[in-house]
Amino acid sequence: MDDLLTVDKLTMRFGGLTAVDSLSFSVPADGLHGLIGPNGAGKTTVFNMITGVYAPTAGDIRFNGSSVVGKKPFQICQTAIARTFQNIRLCPTLTVFENIQIAQVKNLDYGFFTATTHAGRFRRDEERVAAETFEILDLFNLRRVAHEKATQLAYGDQRRVEIVRALATKPKLLLLDEPAAGMNPVEKQELMELIKEVKERFNVAILLIEHDMKVVMGICEHIVVLDHGAKIAAGPPAAIQADPAVIEAYLGEATH
Amino acid sequence: MLRKYWKAATLLGVVLVSLLISQVEGSFNQYIFQIVIYAGINIILAVSLNLINGHTGQFSLGHAGFMAIGAYTAAVLTRDVVGSWGMWIGFPVALIGGGLMAAVAGVVVGIPSLRLRGDYLAIVTLGFGEIIRVIIQNLDFVGGARGFAAIPKLTDFFWVFAIVGLVMWSLSNLVKSTYGKGFLAVRDDEIAAEAMGINTTRYKVTAFVTGAFFAGLAGGLYAHYVTYITPTQFSFILSIEHVMMVIVGGMGSNVGVAFAAVLLTVLKELLKLVPDLLWFLPEWLLRILENRMLLFSILLVVIMILRPQGLFGEGDWVRRWWRKLTGRGRKAEATA
Ligand SMILES: Nc1ncnc2c1ncn2[C@@H]1O[C@H](COP(=O)(O)OP(=O)(O)O)[C@@H](O)[C@H]1O
Ligand SMILES: [Mg+2]
Repeated sequence: MDDLLTVDKLTMRFGGLTAVDSLSFSVPADGLHGLIGPNGAGKTTVFNMITGVYAPTAGDIRFNGSSVVGKKPFQICQTAIARTFQNIRLCPTLTVFENIQIAQVKNLDYGFFTATTHAGRFRRDEERVAAETFEILDLFNLRRVAHEKATQLAYGDQRRVEIVRALATKPKLLLLDEPAAGMNPVEKQELMELIKEVKERFNVAILLIEHDMKVVMGICEHIVVLDHGAKIAAGPPAAIQADPAVIEAYLGEATH
Repeated sequence: MLRKYWKAATLLGVVLVSLLISQVEGSFNQYIFQIVIYAGINIILAVSLNLINGHTGQFSLGHAGFMAIGAYTAAVLTRDVVGSWGMWIGFPVALIGGGLMAAVAGVVVGIPSLRLRGDYLAIVTLGFGEIIRVIIQNLDFVGGARGFAAIPKLTDFFWVFAIVGLVMWSLSNLVKSTYGKGFLAVRDDEIAAEAMGINTTRYKVTAFVTGAFFAGLAGGLYAHYVTYITPTQFSFILSIEHVMMVIVGGMGSNVGVAFAAVLLTVLKELLKLVPDLLWFLPEWLLRILENRMLLFSILLVVIMILRPQGLFGEGDWVRRWWRKLTGRGRKAEATA
């Protein structure tokens, strides 16, 4: 299999509740895939299992051919999977610059003792970190707020900083959990264009969670639809839009 | 060129000035001088605790325990091992020995921090400090409950303030580096930090081990200054004083915490003078004023209400003043 990420019969139970039910899908190395479904369908839980926050009840997750089940979240990040969170999790006391810095800790050439003395490789490495941070901030037009507290930015900017932070870990797979949540339709459209650009520019595969089906239709090549933890449909956007089971799931939600 | 090395040069300057002062320390007022030494030792304790509590966000109440381990280990070393090596070799070896012993204890205490947080961690670390105290009370070769007497008086201005310089320099360097931002990330949001590839387990243990090492050094300095130590000197009340210095100074600001350490040391001494200075007050009022834990607690409550970020927390007057004086803007600092 050439797929970058393969999820195989993945199951997560919380007590009596089956949040994710024997889910299988895969994402190729150059994929831009969508994971959609009504609220509570189990989308975030899938991300939490892929990134090691939850240990799956059953099933397997393979990345680059080897299983990541049982690894800690930081180890999974080090294998080149990065994510954003549905409820933005930027470090509140840190500036935008520092928030990007923490994503680069794992790529540092120096360790504890150099950090306390600022000797040896320190300066060269820090200069590299600063240059890379500003470069990526420039791409997102965020340099102007580099030294402001991240959590004091406008909501849309915070979402983008979180994407920048995830990209700064240099991932091969980027998991975005409802990056457009809370935005108006115009902002949503702009963000989707940006995500498409990110995929090309950073040569990264993207798996995108979205609650609103219409938003992902324009950019995703392939969509998996979850309802009550189970996959009810998968395929290209056009087929998904016409799928009676999908319409049913979303209509069901609307009448609740 | 100069700017590049200014911090290392400052450290060297502090060490040299300390050495000079230590040569003439006999001519100072001994009472005042003792307060200066205590203030220095408290700076080491408070700034090292700040790495654990302030920067990494792990609420530790065990600093007196680390200090006790350093004090007793160093005292045993100067008595039994390095006694004949002379002050310039023997004493630093004893101090480092005490620091390393405390650091080992730091690993042991750091491990619960991987599973516990907040109040629970505070209780476990408090328990650790008390266990250390009880163990020492039952160790005969260090004097047990009677205490450890006749420790040589080796601590002087030089050793205290050279180590103050070292702790300020190395820990400030640490939290300014990209590596050190990992501590702050653990404090701010552990889940996000892990997701960004930071080994939060290792960072927490590193914070405990480093903090404990410096607390151990401070313990050794203290033992070789007072020359007589007892287990009761290292009770949890002392740990609470260290925590207060961190909170008053503004969690996370090393300079602020050092200021607070000096402030509280002086305040503690002033309280001892209360009965003499305020003799006209009624007896019961004097008793209240003399009780430092009571007054410190009130002080803490007042500060938490008026300045929850601490006296010297973010955006404080010391920082603004320092920036003005050095012309080092916030932006220049972060991009340097
Ligand atoms: N840690 C948890 N403990 C118990 N139940 C949980 C936990 N996390 C998620 N769930 C439940 O799992 C289901 C799926 O949640 P989630 O994955 O967040 O849905 P989505 O992201 O699709 O909106 C929900 O019913 C939610 O209440
Ligand atoms: Mg969700």
